[in-house]
Amino acid sequence: MNSQLLRKAMPSKGWLQSMALTLLLVAMPSLAITDILEFKSPEQEQLYRELTAELRCPKCQNQNIADSNAVVAVDMRHKTLQLVEQGMDKTQVIDYMKTRYGDFVYYQPPFRLSTMWLWLLPMLLIVALAVVMLKKQRQQIVAHSSDDAELQAMIDAVRKKQS
Amino acid sequence: MRKLQFFIPLALFLGLAVFLFSGLFSNPRDHGSALVAQPMPVFSLPNLTDPNRLMTNADQKGKVYLLNVWGTWCVTCNAELGFLTTLRQQGVEIIGLYYVQPPEAAFGETFEMGALQKDVARKLAEQGDPYQFNMVDEKRSLIFDLGVTGAPETFLVDANGIIRHHLVGDINEQNWPALHTQYQALVAQMTQAQPSSADPSSANSSTNPSTNPSTNSSNGGQGE
Repeated sequence: MNSQLLRKAMPSKGWLQSMALTLLLVAMPSLAITDILEFKSPEQEQLYRELTAELRCPKCQNQNIADSNAVVAVDMRHKTLQLVEQGMDKTQVIDYMKTRYGDFVYYQPPFRLSTMWLWLLPMLLIVALAVVMLKKQRQQIVAHSSDDAELQAMIDAVRKKQS
Repeated sequence: MRKLQFFIPLALFLGLAVFLFSGLFSNPRDHGSALVAQPMPVFSLPNLTDPNRLMTNADQKGKVYLLNVWGTWCVTCNAELGFLTTLRQQGVEIIGLYYVQPPEAAFGETFEMGALQKDVARKLAEQGDPYQFNMVDEKRSLIFDLGVTGAPETFLVDANGIIRHHLVGDINEQNWPALHTQYQALVAQMTQAQPSSADPSSANSSTNPSTNPSTNSSNGGQGE
């Protein structure tokens, strides 16, 4: 009795099953698109994550290879995984990529004669600002002391009159 | 000294303005190549028209050539084919490196050499065929070793297998003259080097027929 009522209210069991199957089929391609990676050790996984976050996609404007789905970025991720599995360490993988895609591929620029200004310029700026500040301060002290002398002279003059 | 100090902010401003203004005209996609002055990576890839035949570095030894990375899926490459074909007619040696895009496995796509051959043949019949031959890089291995980020890209390789230029984007009337002078200089270097290495005294004489066939081989591969 109860079940009969339910049957009237709800679609048939067969319909439900086919619906569920359809949903499952729809979900399958999206499962296939996401890379599910298996690592031999948590250290390798950590290294892979670090590298894909720090290597830059050469085709994109400012995206790391973990974020990009450009063909180059996908290929670089596969290669990174392969190299990590071969037991390469971080600098080895980065050098491998650099020999192919140039210094651009790693977010940390190398220290060279042409790039040294990246570090030198901020330091020079700070030094220059410090020099200017010190100079200003000294000038102010001198100015203040001359003001003080003038003031003292006036006070003295007034006191002389009063006495 | 006081006056000089007055001009410091002005000088700083002008410097910054020039620096930022020049930035307006710089190409953010141009970030150099790690491959220039490096030897061509070792490769062994199937010939498109005859996939059982593997093309290697040895096939191009002693030749100055352009290696053009392209694909029928790439619009700019298709536009470039016509211009490259006129270059071939002028005697420029161009080799195609076919960029195979990864098939969408999720949609049941697979790589099929036969379908690709037909696709390429149709495209080249339509736009012109600039290539001595095409190599198919299904896994994009040589493409990866060459630091290729997309298509089209072109490499100028000298007779010793050293990469001399890496061009990202298409070859066209605007950028070809510069590349052409470089190409011609390399060809001149090669033809100079060959007789002198055989016999320095007979550079302009015809007494060394043995070197002639090799120097005339630039058209040897035309019948594909």
